[in-house]
Amino acid sequence: MNTLMLRMVSALMPFLERTGVDTYQLYQILRIKLMMDDRRPSVMFAGRRKANATGKTSNPWLVSIGTIVMGVLTGFVLIVFKGPLIAQTVYFSMFMVLMSMTLIADFTSVLLDVRDQYILLPRPVDDRTLAISRILHISVYVFRLALLQGLGGLVIIGFMDGLPAVPLFLLQLILITFLSILLVNVVYLIMMHTVSPEKFKDIISYFQIVFSVVIFGCYYLLPRVIDFTSLVQIDLTQKVWAYFLPPVWIASLNEVLIHPSRATLLTSLLAILGITIPLAGLWLVAKVLAPGFNKRLATAATSDGNTSAPSVPAAIGNTQNKPSLVNQLANWLAPDPVENAGFRITWKLAARIREFKIKVYPALAYVPIYFLYFGLNGKGSIDERFDKIQSGSSYIFLVYLSTFVLSSILQHISYSEKFKPAWVYYALPVTQPGKILSGMYKAVVTLYYLPYCFIIGLVGVVIWGPKVINDIILASVIGMIYGLLMALFMVKGLPFSKPVLLKQSGGRVVTSLLITGLIGAVGFGHYLLSRWETVIWILIIPAIAVYWVMLYYYKRQGWDSIELEEF
Amino acid sequence: MTQSPIIQIRNLSKSYGSKLVLKNLSLDIYPGQVIGYIGPNGAGKSTTVKILTGLIPEFSGEVLVDGISMQDNPQEIKKRIGYVPENAELYEVLTPMEYLDFIGKLYGLEDNLLQTRAQKLLMAFGLGNNINDRMDTFSKGMRQKVLLISGIIHNPQIIILDEPLSGLDANAVIMVKELITRLSQEGKTIFYCSHVMDVVEKVSDRILLINKGDIIADGTFESLKQDHSDTLERVFAHLTGRTESASETDAIINAFD
Repeated sequence: MNTLMLRMVSALMPFLERTGVDTYQLYQILRIKLMMDDRRPSVMFAGRRKANATGKTSNPWLVSIGTIVMGVLTGFVLIVFKGPLIAQTVYFSMFMVLMSMTLIADFTSVLLDVRDQYILLPRPVDDRTLAISRILHISVYVFRLALLQGLGGLVIIGFMDGLPAVPLFLLQLILITFLSILLVNVVYLIMMHTVSPEKFKDIISYFQIVFSVVIFGCYYLLPRVIDFTSLVQIDLTQKVWAYFLPPVWIASLNEVLIHPSRATLLTSLLAILGITIPLAGLWLVAKVLAPGFNKRLATAATSDGNTSAPSVPAAIGNTQNKPSLVNQLANWLAPDPVENAGFRITWKLAARIREFKIKVYPALAYVPIYFLYFGLNGKGSIDERFDKIQSGSSYIFLVYLSTFVLSSILQHISYSEKFKPAWVYYALPVTQPGKILSGMYKAVVTLYYLPYCFIIGLVGVVIWGPKVINDIILASVIGMIYGLLMALFMVKGLPFSKPVLLKQSGGRVVTSLLITGLIGAVGFGHYLLSRWETVIWILIIPAIAVYWVMLYYYKRQGWDSIELEEF
Repeated sequence: MTQSPIIQIRNLSKSYGSKLVLKNLSLDIYPGQVIGYIGPNGAGKSTTVKILTGLIPEFSGEVLVDGISMQDNPQEIKKRIGYVPENAELYEVLTPMEYLDFIGKLYGLEDNLLQTRAQKLLMAFGLGNNINDRMDTFSKGMRQKVLLISGIIHNPQIIILDEPLSGLDANAVIMVKELITRLSQEGKTIFYCSHVMDVVEKVSDRILLINKGDIIADGTFESLKQDHSDTLERVFAHLTGRTESASETDAIINAFD
């Protein structure tokens, strides 16, 4: 694949040589960059596709096949939708979203790679060669992606609209790619103007979180909420808002050239927009946006904190004296020094480690999505189904479902790509690691679970009325017991102390299922008892007692129950 | 010295915003010299190095290397300089051979020559068994060796080393120190930046001390010693204004009370 791409670029070389580019150096830079791309794992799908043993290598072909499959799946919408314009509009919208997300998620690390400043700049490579190499690198990447992703659609359109549609479709793919590039560029530019590169990476990870939630939500909820049969027949030419959507312009091209009988003056105008806007966008990127971008990147990379140095000492004095809310909470919930340390370190790392957030935060959104998915199951209009949820007592189910948040946090809490700093646990005279673990558990519960239950409680009171308060308190406490059981049997490492690995001991799955089954049974019991309000209120007391006793024993764990890592 | 200087710096100034990092630096450096470049953190050391290696293109004043002006023709200058940066930046997913091949080609070395030279250098640095392993498995010392090789692979006239010994084991340290002496005998100019005073004291035949953007001492270790005190460490402390060293340690010891 890469050799093919390089050969295509080589065809451009004589032309580039005339503009003063050192083509030999250019070729070498491109070759090495493409080689490195292949060896870099894809960030985009890292959340779902678990890291393999080394965590560093990935088969480039596997990634390519993944992209092709994704493209074929998107291609099916071309068959499903029947109305004029709508099929291609949906297809190109999906294409554009996928493309932009992959570009942002996968390519940011490449673009913001500050190593280039130290590796390439001290060598006799001039600015023009460097700039061209960067542009070509991105282009090769983008068009490889576009080609793989569009392959499925290309074949499908060939079957549906006949052979002449294929070259047109290729052109449409190129145009929509230009639009995606414009979009990504604008996003980048806004980001680079407003935030620092580190902050930028943070924002991108939030992008990824939102993206996976949206995909997940669409997958589960759209079929429940939207009536597909009417959507499939929709005629976009009748909707004024559609005229402003870029994918509609692109789709119009097919309308005008392949189905001339259906074409109107309006679609012809949209088709003209579809050709001109992407080209104008490309010009804008090349002439206006790209130069400023490169300059900002260079300053971001070379300024290495020289400028901010003087302001640091002044800040230290202020923060020391005022105990923050977190610290007060930590002191109150975990008075033992070791436990306190476990609490604070978990609290701070969990809130700051990007990879942890990417893995865990989507789970926060999955709970309501699952709930609606199960809740909206059934017949009748959407309003009727919502009414059904409100009249029932499914809120108990909602709170028990929230334990999913706890289990997904606990599943990831002891893993980190940067696990090395955890040597302190082993080097320091910690006699009872259980104290760190209980601090960790308390932090997880206070930071994520309880606020989450609180919000669910508020929502519950709004929808079902104040009678749900006792149920929610009881269910939350039982959830905490569940979490503690999970932590006891499933979490075998101190917070963020183990490398990310795929293989987890097989017997654990059974244990996990048993615990979940047990809590499910308890939850069902709760459901049966929920008619007697006082009983629920009374049950809260033994539940809390059980939790305290368990926590006491959890704290007493010794080193023998912890899997040691080699450093 | 009758030779003409290989590096001439005239009235070099550089500021970040309103902060003046280099104040009218002027320097002549002759072929074959080993310059020990020292100074406290934030004194302007790495800024000087970055200007010399072409990483910072904007500055005021004049920098001439081998008679070529940095503003006019940085590429010609870069060909004459080998740079080993302090932060060990490498493309870790490559093997050392692939990396050196890439770097060498950027310098325009011919393929056959490059292959044999890279191989020989890797062997000589004790990386013979790791030629085709990816560098993400390498220890810090091994990466540092690859970095050193990539700085000398094109046989440059000037070699700029920024903390080149970090992560190296004792034997490799001895080897690199000897190498510096040998290279200077071959007529190479070496610019050695470090915070490790005893090494600078031993390897360099001229020491430059920079503080707050000014060069405040320039001479052989012997001449600096006569003025101030007996080790380079003391000279450094004296010249950069650290006077009562007891009070700091007092404060530290007292912190336990």
